[in-house]
Amino acid sequence: MTLPATPRNVIVVAALMSLLLGLVVLASLTLGAVHLPLSAVWTALASPGRNSEAAVIVRQIRLPRILLAILVGAALSVAGTGLQALLRNPLADPYVLGISSGAAVGAIFALWMGGRLAAASPLAAFAGAMITMVWVYLLGRSGGRLASYTLILAGVITASFLSAIILFMLTLLSTRDVRGIAFWLMGDLSVTPLAELRILAPAIILAIAGLYVLAKDLNVLLLGTEEAAHLGVNVVRVEVGVYILASFLTGIAVSTSGAIGYLGLLVPHLGRMLVGNDHRMLLPTAALGGAILLVVSDTLARTVLAPSELPVGAVTAVAGAPVFIYLLRKTAG
Amino acid sequence: MVKYDLHCRLSGPDPERSGWAWACILAATLSALLSSAAGARLVKDQTGRMVNVPENPHRLVSLAPNITEIVYALGLGDELVGDTDYCDFPPEAEKKPHVGAMVNPSLERIVALKPDLALGTPEANRRETADQLERLGIPVYGVTANTLEGTLGSIENLGKILGCAAEARSLVAQMQARIDRVEKRVEGQPKPTVLFVVWYRPLITVGPHSFIADVIRAAGGVPTGDNLKGEWPRLTLEELQPQNPDVILFPKTESFSPSTEELQRLPGWKDLRAVKDGRMFFVSETVMRSGPRLVDALEELAGILHPVR
Repeated sequence: MTLPATPRNVIVVAALMSLLLGLVVLASLTLGAVHLPLSAVWTALASPGRNSEAAVIVRQIRLPRILLAILVGAALSVAGTGLQALLRNPLADPYVLGISSGAAVGAIFALWMGGRLAAASPLAAFAGAMITMVWVYLLGRSGGRLASYTLILAGVITASFLSAIILFMLTLLSTRDVRGIAFWLMGDLSVTPLAELRILAPAIILAIAGLYVLAKDLNVLLLGTEEAAHLGVNVVRVEVGVYILASFLTGIAVSTSGAIGYLGLLVPHLGRMLVGNDHRMLLPTAALGGAILLVVSDTLARTVLAPSELPVGAVTAVAGAPVFIYLLRKTAG
Repeated sequence: MVKYDLHCRLSGPDPERSGWAWACILAATLSALLSSAAGARLVKDQTGRMVNVPENPHRLVSLAPNITEIVYALGLGDELVGDTDYCDFPPEAEKKPHVGAMVNPSLERIVALKPDLALGTPEANRRETADQLERLGIPVYGVTANTLEGTLGSIENLGKILGCAAEARSLVAQMQARIDRVEKRVEGQPKPTVLFVVWYRPLITVGPHSFIADVIRAAGGVPTGDNLKGEWPRLTLEELQPQNPDVILFPKTESFSPSTEELQRLPGWKDLRAVKDGRMFFVSETVMRSGPRLVDALEELAGILHPVR
């Protein structure tokens, strides 16, 4: 279905999805290993300063996770949408360019060095992601342009090389560090304290806004770079802009919560099925849709096998694969 | 869900890395400053972290099976308000409210139990879990041991902070007496080389600095792999054959009970001296728990390596 991307339509869709997100968040706050009725959740939210167990559970355990899930879900989905447009490839996901492997190498390196560096492993992961972004750009451009073919190749080769490095470093780490890192690699939304969200939220929102500014150009880019250039789009600037913003979003997401898979790949497709290809409509849909899906996945991750918690990446993989197969069969006709 | 969990077996320690220290000093200092608990004191736990332990903790959560055993052995079973899904000894421990697995316990369940102290070990728990609990206002005291003495030390330490130092000392004295008896009995006898198999495909054994290796030494054996690095080193067949251990030991667990015939059929194994002489034994899983029953395991091992005539 294609919904014309008039400002009114965009606002209506965004408002509806935000409402759905709000309902999902409320439901998620009541669910968990400890059963809390809605009234308890409401009291916990409405009266700050109360220190009952319900308040601690709702405000210090569940709420930060849900907020992080919203941010990371939106970040990965928007990054995936941007990359699929940039590379003109429906199989592109935020990790195809090696960013998540770079982040993992950064995190493992910090753990290996131990001490103060180990405590700052999210920063090290982000540094790893950004270094990989620059490296893949330098490797994958041809003639000053980000031609999609060489960029994908550069990304895939870099990702696979870094994966080998990761496996090597894992053998060097002590067993207890490996345990922690294995969880992070599978996606873990529970480790980030509320204070860090105050830095993450503006960063992610700004980057998503940046991509939204490029939405019209992304539409034109889909026609092909030559056609886009003829239509007056500054192709190089748009390509580099999308590349940097998408990599930045991916880097932040992976540094805080590990490699949560399938969202960046599937949510753009689901979004296109709902609202069509116009990025002015697709980007907000993908952002909110990704947020909703990750909150749902995380809720499942902490309730399905309660009191044990599954890593959320496992849930998105188990749920994502059948969805992907369904989509594949549907488009194959 | 499979009850057996590999993490439950990973009770080997690592003496070189105390990476918890720096990461948690800030959190612990902050919580010390903000602590309003009457009579809380800052102590150093066995992993080197500073922990704000309440004066009289009486609501404990145990995050590992060996800790649960120690708590019960000190007579504090009633103060245990929660333990993990894998805490199976003593049998009463299975009826306590469970908080999940060791590697990913549910923070919500722990908070809902209103503990004033959580007890963990870096051998089984993640440092992230300890950080998160500290942030939620629950102090986490860590124990760790990489020698037999270290296990006794864990018991004494826990006794001191839980307010039953006397019981702990008496328990440790009994354990030490039994250890001394075993060491005296096997003294002077030729020491067989012992391979302790944690897993056989691939072959994983215990590192030389683990308490399991120490138990083998105390039982009058020589653990293979003094040159091996790490807590759970992998051994290839090439490395194993020149060592040619006299005795091979397997821990008896629910999911790991291959028959001796099955083991003999593994490539390269049938040429090993231990296999040819039929000196392959299953030992109780308690040898992998750094707790009060470790001396039972020691006596069992000594009985195998140096049978009483």
